[in-house]
Amino acid sequence: MSDQIKKIVIVGGGTAGWITAGKIAAEHTIVGNSDSVQIYVVESPNVMPIGVGEGTWPSMRETLKELGISEAEFLTECDASFKQASKFVNWGANVSKNNEDIYYHPFSLPSQFHEINLAKHWYKYRDQVSLSNAVCSQTILCEHNLAPKQITTPEYSFANNYGYHFDAGKFVPFLQKHCIDKLGVTQVLGDICGVNSHPNGDIKSVITKEFGDISGDLFIDCSGLHGLLLDKHYKIPFLSQQQFLFNDSALAVQVPYKDPEQDIASATISTAQKNGWIWDIGLQSRRGTGYVYSSAHCSDEEAEETLRKYISPSLGKQEQEKVNIRKLSINPGHREKFWHQNVVAVGMSAGFIEPLEASAIALIEQSAKFIANQLPKNRASMEHIATRFNDKFLNRWQQIIEFLKLHYVLSNRTDSQYWLDNKAINSIPEQLQTKLALWKIQSPYNYDTRFTEELFPSASYQYVYYGMGAKTDISFNRKYELETTKAEYLFQENRKITEQLLKVLPSNRALLNKIKQFGLSKI
Amino acid sequence: MGQHQIVNNVDHKDIKINTVRSKEFGDNIWYSLTFVEEFRAIQAYYPIFFQKDADTGQFVPVSLFGFQHEENLFLNDKGWDAGYIPLSVARQPFTIGTQKKVIDGREQEDRILALDMDNKRVNKDVGESLFLEFGGNSDYLDTIADMMETLHNGVNQNTNFIKCLTELDLLEPFTLDVQLNDGSQYQMIGFYTINEEKLEQLPAEKLADLVSSGYLKAIHMTMASQGNVAHLIRRKNEQLGLA
Repeated sequence: MSDQIKKIVIVGGGTAGWITAGKIAAEHTIVGNSDSVQIYVVESPNVMPIGVGEGTWPSMRETLKELGISEAEFLTECDASFKQASKFVNWGANVSKNNEDIYYHPFSLPSQFHEINLAKHWYKYRDQVSLSNAVCSQTILCEHNLAPKQITTPEYSFANNYGYHFDAGKFVPFLQKHCIDKLGVTQVLGDICGVNSHPNGDIKSVITKEFGDISGDLFIDCSGLHGLLLDKHYKIPFLSQQQFLFNDSALAVQVPYKDPEQDIASATISTAQKNGWIWDIGLQSRRGTGYVYSSAHCSDEEAEETLRKYISPSLGKQEQEKVNIRKLSINPGHREKFWHQNVVAVGMSAGFIEPLEASAIALIEQSAKFIANQLPKNRASMEHIATRFNDKFLNRWQQIIEFLKLHYVLSNRTDSQYWLDNKAINSIPEQLQTKLALWKIQSPYNYDTRFTEELFPSASYQYVYYGMGAKTDISFNRKYELETTKAEYLFQENRKITEQLLKVLPSNRALLNKIKQFGLSKI
Repeated sequence: MGQHQIVNNVDHKDIKINTVRSKEFGDNIWYSLTFVEEFRAIQAYYPIFFQKDADTGQFVPVSLFGFQHEENLFLNDKGWDAGYIPLSVARQPFTIGTQKKVIDGREQEDRILALDMDNKRVNKDVGESLFLEFGGNSDYLDTIADMMETLHNGVNQNTNFIKCLTELDLLEPFTLDVQLNDGSQYQMIGFYTINEEKLEQLPAEKLADLVSSGYLKAIHMTMASQGNVAHLIRRKNEQLGLA
């Protein structure tokens, strides 16, 4: 056993496997130099990737850029579009009677977020304007289906922060080709039927039917629900989170556009239903929708009826009856730890929670980034890095669970047992209960995040908390008084910028068509 | 969008084109599209930069006449004060169009000269005639036709030139800082220029390609043209009485 970590074997080639391969290769592999880190992706020729979610966070821009991918090529080949926000409809926000039950969680931070907490100053205007409309331009631009940039804006740059919606079925082969052709990753098409261990319990090699033993110094388990290494081999316990987040089933369906030039939405639209919520994602060539629900509260038949009702206005009754609905099961939760011996799990083999706020791919990116940045030089240093990884990612799972739960607990919906159960005190993680108690007297801000590189900035908590119409007893102190002029100036400035952007930004559709024709400049 | 007609000696028998250069005719522009073909003439008077076309995001070379919207420092009471007028300006009010024709069963594209009848330069009293008394082309019209041909080829040549520059990573963003004699400053963003450092580091075979395509010459003329910024500043200072 060589002490150096030189050969990395990634087990499984879905979204998780190829993003991880790409990120590590981009940082470590020198193509043509066999002394540099070598990466092997072992994927079954027979297993089709699940293709979790089609929404990403803005972090995907950084990921693609690091991998040396042309943004225009990615957008065109993966049927991708720009995602600038999540839009929540009918979540039971406590809004005044005249207002619609709609709010946004935009990707852009409130202006000068790190200098001033504008939410405090917005609070007195809460009956006139939503927080997101007061502090950034993105929400209004989303309502107009506008793009986050212009054709003259260099690739990966923006007027408003954005991630993507894409066709996961196209993204995986696209990424795979790039990793193999450009980044020196080796693909092994083989079915894994066993593992060989070192005396210390580390994995020495995985056994494939087609190519025999494939040895490695570090193994990354990206085998998704198959859980080949961390689950089946090491039997690391699974921690269910269903007591907090009830959704364990999903029905997915693709919806064509009525007209190929139909507007493409700038946000993932999430519409709450009686026993869950429906996602609606606009790609270039079609929409992807699906109902995520709790099987304890709702039968599959009832769920299907709800989903069909949602899509029929855009399809017509006849077309609606023809569509093919796919059922997916979700087991909400995660492993007790993710890095064990010389194996680290990334993606669904580590855990999975319902797709609200699309955290799955973001978590893959963060895990891959951590492994790439902190790649152990030798076996001895691996223990410390594994401990660090486990601490960090346990915390991240906890954050995701709390943040997703926040969307449910503030709802004033009482139309089903599902919504009532969601507000039951024993269904709310303790840390979230503490936060909710605090937010009644102080607005969410920078003390609400404990670590650097947080998954959700405190601005996200603000957008959801106040978007749901929750209240804070804002205390007026000297600092508040001193900041008032600046806050008013920033509100005014935001209105001006919004007006300007409304005039110059093209629609998502128009920009994507142009990018297809002309590409995007690097500078 | 004006009304465009195909130039012909029946409809346009009496048409004259006023070639006076003035604000009235829309010559108060601060930059215009230029072509590799005319870089040699352009760089004698104007700085050449690159800009992104607002409609396509593609780089195009432009020659600069002023520092702000509607400022052409070459324009005065007597006309356009320079020994060469850029093609994209001189061609006004003509445009080039294409017409599909079937010759021997094969579809061919013919270029045709069109005239924007709504352009103020088009009249029947003042300026250059398009046709001679008995219907033959005037020298002016022949010159214009040649110009349009150059322009048509120029568009393709520009595209190839830009493609070559971007592939070699030779363009870089550039902010033009201008200070006038009274200390007032202008900052112009959105321009791109040749990255000289990258040019110097090009491997020999790439440089050889640039020589054989003729683009190295165009690159050097672009770089040399930047000296004309100083002339623009001089004109601006004179105009403001700061000279």
